[in-house]
Amino acid sequence: MILERFSMLGIAVVAVGASTVLYTNVAARTVRALPTGLARRVRPALWIAPAALVVSVVLIYPAGATVVLSMFDADGGGFVGLRNYTDLLSKPSTLVALRNSLMWVIGLPLLGAVLGLIVAVLTDRVRYGPWVKAALFVPIAVSAVATAVIWRFFYEYKPAGTAQTGTLNELVTRLGVGPVPWLIDGWVNNPALIATAVWTQTGLCAVIFAAALRGVSVDLYEAASLDGASPWHQFRHITLPLIWPTVVVVLTTMAVIALKAFDVIYVMTNGSYDTDVLATLMYKELFSARDDGRSGALATLLMLSVAPIVWFNVRHYRSSLRGMR
Amino acid sequence: MSEVMKGLGAGLAVVLSVTAIGHSAWATTSESNGTAPDSTSAARVAALEAAGGSEIGGSVNVMGVLGGEELDDFLAVIEPFEEATGIDVEYEGTRDFGAVLQTRVDGGNPPELAVTPAIGLIAELADEGEVIDLRGVLGDEVLEASFDPGLIATASNDEIVFGAFNTINLGGLMWYNPQAYDGPTEPASWDELIEWATSKAAEGESPFCVTLESGAASGWPAADFIDEIVLRQAGPEFHTRWRNLEVEWTAPEIRQAYETYGQMITPQGMAFGDVNSVLGTNFANAADPMFGDEPGCFLTQQATFMGGIIAGNFPDLTPVDDYDFFAVPDFSTEFPNLRGIGGEIVAMFEETPQSVALTEYLVSVEAGTLIAETGRWLSPNRQVDSSSYIDPFLSKASVILQESEGSYNLANSLMPQSVVDAFWHSGLEYTQDPDNLDEILATVEAARQDAL
Repeated sequence: MILERFSMLGIAVVAVGASTVLYTNVAARTVRALPTGLARRVRPALWIAPAALVVSVVLIYPAGATVVLSMFDADGGGFVGLRNYTDLLSKPSTLVALRNSLMWVIGLPLLGAVLGLIVAVLTDRVRYGPWVKAALFVPIAVSAVATAVIWRFFYEYKPAGTAQTGTLNELVTRLGVGPVPWLIDGWVNNPALIATAVWTQTGLCAVIFAAALRGVSVDLYEAASLDGASPWHQFRHITLPLIWPTVVVVLTTMAVIALKAFDVIYVMTNGSYDTDVLATLMYKELFSARDDGRSGALATLLMLSVAPIVWFNVRHYRSSLRGMR
Repeated sequence: MSEVMKGLGAGLAVVLSVTAIGHSAWATTSESNGTAPDSTSAARVAALEAAGGSEIGGSVNVMGVLGGEELDDFLAVIEPFEEATGIDVEYEGTRDFGAVLQTRVDGGNPPELAVTPAIGLIAELADEGEVIDLRGVLGDEVLEASFDPGLIATASNDEIVFGAFNTINLGGLMWYNPQAYDGPTEPASWDELIEWATSKAAEGESPFCVTLESGAASGWPAADFIDEIVLRQAGPEFHTRWRNLEVEWTAPEIRQAYETYGQMITPQGMAFGDVNSVLGTNFANAADPMFGDEPGCFLTQQATFMGGIIAGNFPDLTPVDDYDFFAVPDFSTEFPNLRGIGGEIVAMFEETPQSVALTEYLVSVEAGTLIAETGRWLSPNRQVDSSSYIDPFLSKASVILQESEGSYNLANSLMPQSVVDAFWHSGLEYTQDPDNLDEILATVEAARQDAL
């Protein structure tokens, strides 16, 4: 069975490689054979075609089909217009999920970026910097499910008066506050889940910021300190403006990750105690209620909420490219 | 196993455990791993017969939910089949069974066989015409000779028999520590047990150990017990209508079952710890406080597999001497001595010589004997000799089942998944806020309405 899989993998690798070579050859020859005027117009189309094909098959078509499905009933049989949307938005559970998604989309980027930036700035150009960054980067390599399991232990709750096995509760009990049911209490459970995601993403943010900081010339800091600028002023008026494009990229990437949040929540609470977000709700509508219409509607809502971030990101990227020229 | 490893095991169980008493998320073993050679050779003969008398070879793809030691035990039952027939059984275990099976069926690539506790899910697929009628594969005669009519009915819809039971767990047991427990071990009624518990709580000791956390399936231990209470308080006829979604969740019988379950947790001091520890502690650790110099609690309600879990958590304890169970007493004089069970069924999606052979084999009394000998499950096959149960707990459970007035599969593995999810969830909500029962029941009722 495993051998079979490996041979299939081998075949796939060879086949993809071979067809890529074949396609580029044929395309190049075709362009060469055409008269110059026509070739100029055909060339980009030929090169874009494979990517366009793949994107339409695996992205555009499913997205479109999802939007269409969202206007049909549970098994895709009858057209219901926008009823799935109105049904969903009148359910308290959806409103809670929307609130939580909003909390994620604000909390994760903000905390991830701020902590990542602090780490990057503090470890920039110091001897032990790479080690700190490497240590913080490790969590991104841990699978989300494993992360969630680890953090469940971290948040574990035992009744007051008994030995606390969860690290965090042992800590707060020693500080004189009773044990806190981190994943159950309605005030702390969503932040507790977001904190888990922050743990996985901070290292990534720090590494991206560190790379950006490398791009800031040391001369600027020397000049600034000669003029008597304090470290804070140097950060505020030199570092931040110069790495601002990176900050925006990090914030938007984290926002998209926050909207996609699923695994951590699925493992740690599965949406119990009002911790559902749009993605977990979509999963439940699809695989538990088997309602293609409603899950399609939730997917569409999710897509719509990501769209402005992506649009902003693309626009920002373009303007920064223009700036470079 | 070191404490760390144990912790990790528990953690994985947290993530992986999916269903109700159909199976335990992890478990353990008893001493009975060595199967007697004669039952193995008998199984080989039965396997060859199932394959039409020749080594037909080929392979069969089986999807299920088992992993770890549970899977090892199941594969040990399959092994004689593979040896005798040359058929390669490819078992694909996933804890996200519903989603994976659904996707594969929708994609036109179902497994040939599924072995699963999610009977409700298979029933839904059967209604959509995706499942093969086992009556045609096995024949009425074999089915009726092997299974109680109730079990056949559970795995049937109006037209077809969509599954055959493969393993069974007996629910509704009270596990206790004989060294510490001073209450009745043969209480005549639930009220008698609660009377003892109330006096215990008045002395400042918690009688019940209740924990409900189980990853994505959290709440099922409460739902399982409420389910059993409905069966034994309102009767089988009501229970059947209820599981067929013909009864509103706001019905007085359902409400009463929740409140009866609530007697274990709601009054101050009844359940060990506090509400948050009941909600947040994994079900597999429910019995942990029973064992120690000063037990924190004395009784935990769970199915047969709890014995394996206790053995895993406390390898030094001796079964029967240090932990044992009695069956939860009757809730109603009107419906005495009923039992709630859970189990895994085999369902067929693709009819091939190999899948037919494996199904015939699993239904055979020889395979049932091997299942009994694993010490993990009860065999649903009524021809299996009760002496095949080497494990003391299973042997006791098989007697309880035989002496019962009737055994019924718990409803929460038969209902559509969306209702089941709401039901499990309601177990958490009711534990957290018992005064809010009206609203909680209305939420599950809304899920039922949606599923109709």
